[in-house]
Amino acid sequence: MKRILCSLLLLASIPAIAADYSVQPGSTIGFSGTFQGEAFTGQFKKFDATISYDPANLATSKLDVSVDISSIATGDSDRDNALPGGEFFSTAKFPKAHFISTAFRNDGNKVIADGTLTIKGVSKPVSLDVGFTPSGDGATLAVSTTLDRSDFNVGTGEYADTSTIGADVKVNAKLKLTAK
Amino acid sequence: MAIKSNDRQWGSVARTFHWLMALLIVVNGGLGLYMTELKPSMDKISVYAIHKSIGLTVLALFVLRLSWRWFDPRPRDLPMPRWQKIAAHTAHGALYLLMLAMPLSGWLFNSAHGNPLQWFKLFNLPALVGKNKALADFLRDTHETLFWILVAVLVLHVGGALIHHYRERDNTLRRMLPFSRQLGTDVHPAESSSTK
Repeated sequence: MKRILCSLLLLASIPAIAADYSVQPGSTIGFSGTFQGEAFTGQFKKFDATISYDPANLATSKLDVSVDISSIATGDSDRDNALPGGEFFSTAKFPKAHFISTAFRNDGNKVIADGTLTIKGVSKPVSLDVGFTPSGDGATLAVSTTLDRSDFNVGTGEYADTSTIGADVKVNAKLKLTAK
Repeated sequence: MAIKSNDRQWGSVARTFHWLMALLIVVNGGLGLYMTELKPSMDKISVYAIHKSIGLTVLALFVLRLSWRWFDPRPRDLPMPRWQKIAAHTAHGALYLLMLAMPLSGWLFNSAHGNPLQWFKLFNLPALVGKNKALADFLRDTHETLFWILVAVLVLHVGGALIHHYRERDNTLRRMLPFSRQLGTDVHPAESSSTK
């Protein structure tokens, strides 16, 4: 009896662990920039994500996303040819972009994931808006933020001019998750 | 110089339209030939943007010019053979059509290609058609063919004006030139030939 009680106490003292999820096909990581005053959208076709999430226990939640930059596609061949180049993402040298969360927190009725984003070898603190919608044994994780491309040296030299290529790039991800 | 044209000469508004648009059209033709040779770069993007902005300016001026022409009388034709009159008026008609068709085919091409359209970075204009590769290729060829037709018509137009000016020594060019005074009936053409 004493042993059982001990075990129960021990169990109760362990915080609930956030559930691990795997990302399903059909998930997207996209972005929207502006060129000559008009929005254009693009997607990264290849990425990996490791996700632990529990809305009731944000402290143990974790998000780790690695994006294959050369899988970028914006629907314009001129642009898609230019983006892997040295002035933009320099994919030969920096093939991946990486986000790793450091903390999740509630902000009003929103959830924010603070973390570090690395693009083109530049690491910056970035906060993501996170929306978590459970469905069946899985969930949909919607993530969005706005980045300034110049923070990461995306578009240098003559391409730094923000009057032609806007500074702000909105990033939107919709990850379909199933419990591991 | 009168604002409106009269029986003998073109007014200042008609002359301004003529020379301003002539300048823009020649510059834009040059830019058009030059820009397609450029390697992908910001310069290429900028030159294309200027070409498109000038083209849109020509289109806007064309609309204003046509509206003005609606109630501005044109000078009477100078005495010349009938075939010259027909050739001159045909060339003018063709130029009016081309001043509309050149920018419009460029705008359509730009739309079908899926590019933004901005006027000197100040405001954007909508696409006229949706993105469509086959249509874009066709419109590109159309825009280029119209350009070479324009070059041919301009050779006729400019050539005719110069022949009238230097060989016929009449007022055809003078009545369109800015600040130029016409040769009056009291001035013998031979008197002014020494200045040429």
